[in-house]
Amino acid sequence: MKVIYNTLFKRTSTYAVAIIGATFFFERAIDVSSTALFESINKGKLWKDIKSKYE
Amino acid sequence: MLKAVSRAYVRGGAQALSTGLKTSGAAVNTIASRQAHTDLQVPDFTAYRRDSVKDSRRRNESAEERKAFSYLLVGGGAVGGAYAAKGLVNAFLGSMSASADVLAMAKIEIKLADIAEGKSVTFKWRGKPLFIRHRTQAEIDTERGVPTSSLRDPETDDQRVIKPQWLVVIGVCTHLGCVPIANSGDFGGYYCPCHGSHYDASGRIRKGPAPLNLEVPTHEFPDEGTLIVG
Repeated sequence: MKVIYNTLFKRTSTYAVAIIGATFFFERAIDVSSTALFESINKGKLWKDIKSKYE
Repeated sequence: MLKAVSRAYVRGGAQALSTGLKTSGAAVNTIASRQAHTDLQVPDFTAYRRDSVKDSRRRNESAEERKAFSYLLVGGGAVGGAYAAKGLVNAFLGSMSASADVLAMAKIEIKLADIAEGKSVTFKWRGKPLFIRHRTQAEIDTERGVPTSSLRDPETDDQRVIKPQWLVVIGVCTHLGCVPIANSGDFGGYYCPCHGSHYDASGRIRKGPAPLNLEVPTHEFPDEGTLIVG
């Protein structure tokens, strides 16, 4: 925690960069995990699941 | 007596004294009381403090860790806020761009093998007629040989076509917007029946009232035999 505070949070510039950088990974994680959750809930109803019946 | 009281006044009392000479001594004494609360005890907040900061004589070593925790919370909120803001801006800007069906209608793909040499074919594109003309070598040579000084709207044939055998123009007369007739007129290109404008095989105005050449839309040849307009 001490190291994180002294390297990232102490200066506003590094703090802002850390927030922006973390947003990229946060967005990716949220998008991938929410898509996976949606697809697991709707398994069997999605086009990719029934595609083989029509093509 | 008044002198003794005025010493107790620190500020604001002098005016009260000068105007209030006739007030009773009791009233003056009430204003003059100090009310410094020096006898109050400072409450003990030890129960609310973290263990690491209970001893005021010890060096404060946990400050960075505690600040890191606070900044981490605020920073986590900022990350979530930035993600939400990006989503909002994305959705708003996305609502302003053209929808997929509009984009699909904005382009037309044409198989050139179906158009024989010397023929002019009309397509509908963005609600307007689109002329595609497969020019013969004789027509190309004629249009290349026309001096631009003799033209009303001077454009060389090179400026109007990408591949010399394919002429792509919008079939709307630049005079009043009629649709010209292909392969007719004095110059073998297009002829507008409304007011008699003659266009040549490069779509340039040569005779009649129209002021400008037929418009050439942006088009490209992604491969041999395919034309995409739009």
